[in-house]
Amino acid sequence: MMKKALSITLSLLMILSLVVFTGHVAEAANDTIKIGFFAPVTAPSAAADGESALNSAKLAVKLVNENGGINGTPVELVDLDDGLDTTAAANIAEKFAGDNSIAAVVSGSYSGPTKVAAPIFQEAGKLMVSAYAVHPDVTGAGDLIFSQSFPGAVQATGAAVVAAEQLKATKIAIIYVDLDFGTTQVNAFKAKLEKDYPNVQVVYEQGVSIKDSDMTSLVTAAGASGADLIYSVNYYEQAAEVLRQVGMQGLNIPVLGTEGADSWMLLEIAQEYANGLYITTNMNRDDQNEQTQAYIKNYREEFNKEPDMVGASVYDAFQVLFEAMKNVGTDTQAMKEFIANMKNFDTVTGTLLYYNAEGSAVKPIQVQLVTNGEYHYFGVVDDAQIIDPANY
Amino acid sequence: MFLQQLINALTIGSLYALTAMGATLIYGILGILDIANAGAYLVGAYVGWYVYYATGSIVLAFLVSMLVVGLLGIFLQRAIYSPILAKPRTLSIIPLVAAVGLFTISSDAVRLICGPNSKAYNLKFPMEVIRVGKVTIQPAWLMIFVLTAILLAILWFILNKTKLGLAWRATAGDREIALVCGVNTNNAMALSYILGYGFAAAAGIMTGILYNNITPALGEVPSYKMLAIIVLGGLGNPLGTVIAGLVIGIAEVFLSVYTKIPIPKDAIAFVVLIIMLLVKPEGLLGRRNKV
Repeated sequence: MMKKALSITLSLLMILSLVVFTGHVAEAANDTIKIGFFAPVTAPSAAADGESALNSAKLAVKLVNENGGINGTPVELVDLDDGLDTTAAANIAEKFAGDNSIAAVVSGSYSGPTKVAAPIFQEAGKLMVSAYAVHPDVTGAGDLIFSQSFPGAVQATGAAVVAAEQLKATKIAIIYVDLDFGTTQVNAFKAKLEKDYPNVQVVYEQGVSIKDSDMTSLVTAAGASGADLIYSVNYYEQAAEVLRQVGMQGLNIPVLGTEGADSWMLLEIAQEYANGLYITTNMNRDDQNEQTQAYIKNYREEFNKEPDMVGASVYDAFQVLFEAMKNVGTDTQAMKEFIANMKNFDTVTGTLLYYNAEGSAVKPIQVQLVTNGEYHYFGVVDDAQIIDPANY
Repeated sequence: MFLQQLINALTIGSLYALTAMGATLIYGILGILDIANAGAYLVGAYVGWYVYYATGSIVLAFLVSMLVVGLLGIFLQRAIYSPILAKPRTLSIIPLVAAVGLFTISSDAVRLICGPNSKAYNLKFPMEVIRVGKVTIQPAWLMIFVLTAILLAILWFILNKTKLGLAWRATAGDREIALVCGVNTNNAMALSYILGYGFAAAAGIMTGILYNNITPALGEVPSYKMLAIIVLGGLGNPLGTVIAGLVIGIAEVFLSVYTKIPIPKDAIAFVVLIIMLLVKPEGLLGRRNKV
């Protein structure tokens, strides 16, 4: 008798808890706007970028909620870690794509995971804004996929202009990470040199595996090649080691990097050898634009760390989505139309001039120079022929 | 440039030799490929980093890290490897699988406990880079040469001039006969682990200082490259391992710089290994207990 009563009581409790739990989910789904987010938070070779990305996603959501959310509705961040693994990224994409409560997605990850996730979202009819992935296949997945930054080819074409015109290089050594990030940019960089600067030669070119920590022999070879500039297309760890070796080997050769070298962790690893590094990126720390300075201040206060382009790009990707949601709600097609027609939208990483037909943001390329252990303004590439990838 | 590249190659080769020495000693006596040695290399680098930041003493960082990781090695030998090997008819792949598991656990444990981000030693050497003409020698390279030489000299002394070393060589030669002759094979095995894991820890710290960067992925490349080195060196042969480490270092640097070989630098070790096994299947020096 006792057993039967206990069974009935437990069964009732289970049913009640199910009702309460289901009700809670339904209530939450109606009361918040959920945005899916993924970044390489635990990948050792990308953890600093993953941390910046996740911090900025949290900051963006926190600030929008403090200011009343999206037309009164709070935003909820659903963040997952892809570990810089394409299989994990595909699983995350499937999860978000199948979750009707997720209104849209932001990728805070590299090109590899993002270009795997993009077609899954396109197929499922879910809108995604990529923060900083450079591969053209990301936005090439379809009309629901946008990037708030420029593709690698744009940045590298701008880098060729900087190398030839501003840094007056005539012999260039290239050390690049042998991934999409590196090869895409090296090809565009060389193509621009061949087309417009035939007097500038590439005298040394070497790809390296992302797992390779040792840049010593490559930098020695680059120095011996007679180069007057090293173009380093690497992520922060390898970019830092290139700088350390250039400094310690006493090579008086400037280094031009990419947004991959735009990281607080590069400054931490390279220390004094980071000074003199030029990079092409999308963030100008010295921009007096209110949004840029507010983001830098808020990020420092919230996380006690220096912000970088990865974080700023993620923050901007959220601003693009928030702007669309505030104006047209969370209907995917309406958001798509709104974003595709955005013009002169002020972001932390400069003015987003417009979206081209491929869904890539068109904005000026910033050139930063590290001085006294900090990134500072050096120049800008804003030639319309260069910054719109549709012109290639 | 040739001389500079040769110095670059010898630096990296010395580090390879020290990194693979632990696995060599353990193979020499137990006949197992202890991939977990790469975990010792990783954990050693992190223990060293914490001790260095707590005390400011890099000497203490080396000593504490080598001791802690060496003792961890003895614990793993007693708690995991010995019970596995004590079972009758144990397949040789079982301890290898256990070692792979231990390595994976160590990488994930370091990531969870210490965080996924890079950590920089930021060690300031009390000397500048030495420049002779166009050739440079960096302080970290000198440290690697000197420390590797000291550690290998200590190893040579222990293995050749002490009773414990005699027990190690006897056990490595034939464990059962050594046991019958009254050799304390347990102590010999413990010696392999404390030295092997301690050396790996030292190599991890040196790598962290050399590149001013450690991450939880630090052990990934050594976990497979050390296999190529110990096989090339003649499986369990410490002297062969030193030579193999230098050969791999030289091959990597010169092939990647002077040729357009279309394979990643980390794969060169295996290309050298395959060529060597085709020409000299017993490895560079053959006999596994030769010290």
